[in-house]
Amino acid sequence: MPKSRYKSMYPPFRFDRREFFKMSGTASLGLLMTRTLLSAEKAQTAPTGQAAAPARPATNIEEALRVPRTKYSLPGLFPGKVVEVHDPRAMDSESGKPSAEVIKGMFEKGIANLTGQNLKKSFDLFFTKDDVVGIKVNPVGAGLISTRLEVVDAIIEWLEKNGMKRQNIIIWDRFDYMLKDAGFTPERFPGVGIEGLQTMDEAAAEGKSQDNSTWLRPDGSHVSAPNFDQDVYYWADVEGPKDLAYLNQHVFNGKYSYFGKLLTRKLTKIINVPVFKNTGNAISMATKNIGYGAVCNTNRLHKPLFLDVCVEVPAFPVIRDKMVLNITDGLRAQYEGGPGPEAKFTYFYNRLFFATDPFALDMVCHRLIVEKRKSMGIQVNEHPRFTEYLRYAQKLGLGVVDDKMQHIRA
Amino acid sequence: MASNFLGGGHEVQPGEQPYEFFLTFRSGGRLVPSARFKKSAFSIIPGIFLLLLGLLCSSTLLFSAVTLPGDNFYPGWKKSDRLVTFTRADLYNYIDGGAELFLEFGFEKVYVQRYSSGDSELTLEIYEMETPEAALGVYLAKCGQETPLEGLPARNSGEESQFTILRERYFIHVNNFAGGQELLPVMLALARAALQNLPLDRPIALLDYLPNENLVKNSERLIRGPYALQPIFTFGEGDILQLEGQVFGVVGSYLDEKGNITTRLVIPYPDETRARAALEHLRQNFDPYHKILETKPSGFTFVDYQQKFGRVELKGSILDIQINLPQQPGLESCF
Repeated sequence: MPKSRYKSMYPPFRFDRREFFKMSGTASLGLLMTRTLLSAEKAQTAPTGQAAAPARPATNIEEALRVPRTKYSLPGLFPGKVVEVHDPRAMDSESGKPSAEVIKGMFEKGIANLTGQNLKKSFDLFFTKDDVVGIKVNPVGAGLISTRLEVVDAIIEWLEKNGMKRQNIIIWDRFDYMLKDAGFTPERFPGVGIEGLQTMDEAAAEGKSQDNSTWLRPDGSHVSAPNFDQDVYYWADVEGPKDLAYLNQHVFNGKYSYFGKLLTRKLTKIINVPVFKNTGNAISMATKNIGYGAVCNTNRLHKPLFLDVCVEVPAFPVIRDKMVLNITDGLRAQYEGGPGPEAKFTYFYNRLFFATDPFALDMVCHRLIVEKRKSMGIQVNEHPRFTEYLRYAQKLGLGVVDDKMQHIRA
Repeated sequence: MASNFLGGGHEVQPGEQPYEFFLTFRSGGRLVPSARFKKSAFSIIPGIFLLLLGLLCSSTLLFSAVTLPGDNFYPGWKKSDRLVTFTRADLYNYIDGGAELFLEFGFEKVYVQRYSSGDSELTLEIYEMETPEAALGVYLAKCGQETPLEGLPARNSGEESQFTILRERYFIHVNNFAGGQELLPVMLALARAALQNLPLDRPIALLDYLPNENLVKNSERLIRGPYALQPIFTFGEGDILQLEGQVFGVVGSYLDEKGNITTRLVIPYPDETRARAALEHLRQNFDPYHKILETKPSGFTFVDYQQKFGRVELKGSILDIQINLPQQPGLESCF
């Protein structure tokens, strides 16, 4: 049972920049077994009577749903609307380098088409100058398939031009060292905050070192434990393993996945900037970037709840009411081998996708990646289970993924 | 020196010879600690002792043939890092999110060595699998549309960022993470050097289970559990075909005269009892998105979530499954 009531918001305050961290990618694991609430219901009423869905572990999703919504709550100001901007000049196919100028133009076009307003009015729709905005990037597959720095440049420029101070902008991810590997450094983004929710000792994780002192405190807790808010959590009736390797990577074990204090106490708005890639037959884009990137102790969730986590974690007000914008970076995309980087399956897609509704965004991108996979001769299993979580999100009022969804090519 | 078998990835220490060979013993499907010998330090007595020990406790003896290219496999190129190895116990530390497929097919060990020249770097990964079938299974799952490179004496698919290579029970990646065609000659040289001492391929009879007529070229896949099955079709939860990481099945696509692509899975179980048990498990736990249309003791037909049809048929110890059929198959033809 959950140990206490969920707290949705805290007054913003500053705390010291700390140790950083890493993100688990055991993504394919859960695809085999996961079954969303929708499919479980369907299984129980299936006319064939062949199979009964295995019981889904209980979670504290009901607590999240009880919190009153705000005007920013998902699916946000433009439910079901997805804007795709394509410019073949964005990535140089010879050098593989992005064009900052072209990307800036794509960004501005995307925002304007999403809101129907100019950039200034668009800013005012989502932010005030005093907001503390967290830009959630995806640094996995650094340089190859990670969020392009130039996309983040365009976002920061837009925020700054409209009066937001650089110190009110924080680029973040779950793992500190991944941010650095992907080029999100103070030198590259001076004056902007760069924060990982946790650190992880890579050498210990890879067995290169038996020295755990860099991450394990004498009392047996992880040095990044204070970075997570133990009053704000996603609870699931699944135990995390007790071994040190797991603790190193996931900070906590047990049945609680705590949200980072960065989200609960500091950020007032979030812009989610995932990349365009697959994870098995599913995708690892907007909802997975935030669903598995905002909390600790996630590996335990993959097998029994995998894609449901991409719905239920963002359903908590700490994300639901703050994540006002999602921009999927499809400049260089990956259609197979994900979520880890596999160079041979990457391609220059030269697209950015814009939405306030991350579930509509993922549905559009899922369909596009399925088309790409087919065109490349990849075996594609289009079983509905791989998009069930998106319909589950609609059922919870978090997204619009049915025929009311709008896919606009700007 | 003993390899770090159950622990984490193993770093080979400075001074160790680049060309090494390895012994791994298996006992009842479980590995017992492997022994590593430097060529120069190999002595008869411990070798015989370990050999006898292996024969005593194992029905199978696997000799690793891995020899890693040393410096100057290409002018100006040398190792830029220590050799790192990962075993079954810690593979997920190396390919987090991708280890399951390797483990399901039958993984022994991976050797990872980086090479560099100036700012350029290549990574060589040699995955040692249990059997040639296991290596083929991984290769077919990973190669995508095959684009073979000339000049490599092994089945392969490659382009400027990655070569994917199959030789006997070894699955090999040569990675150029930065991309760029200028390193293609170096990648080829590295791949050739890695292949130099690996044993030649043996015929894999498993593929013969697929009828040749109308088989779509290069559509063959192997399965040995739910991870490999996942991209092909969802029959139900978990190891729905009861392959248990032991039984190989073979999959192929077929083009009919009307242009329809159908898929066939042929799974030869060790005996009819296991095949029948798998059929019953499948029937009882069939995915609720599909609907069983007709059922008999030796199989059933169904319509799937896309309104395409399928047929599951038990033929002795073989489970023969067809999916994506455009029309409902006639019962009399299969039962």
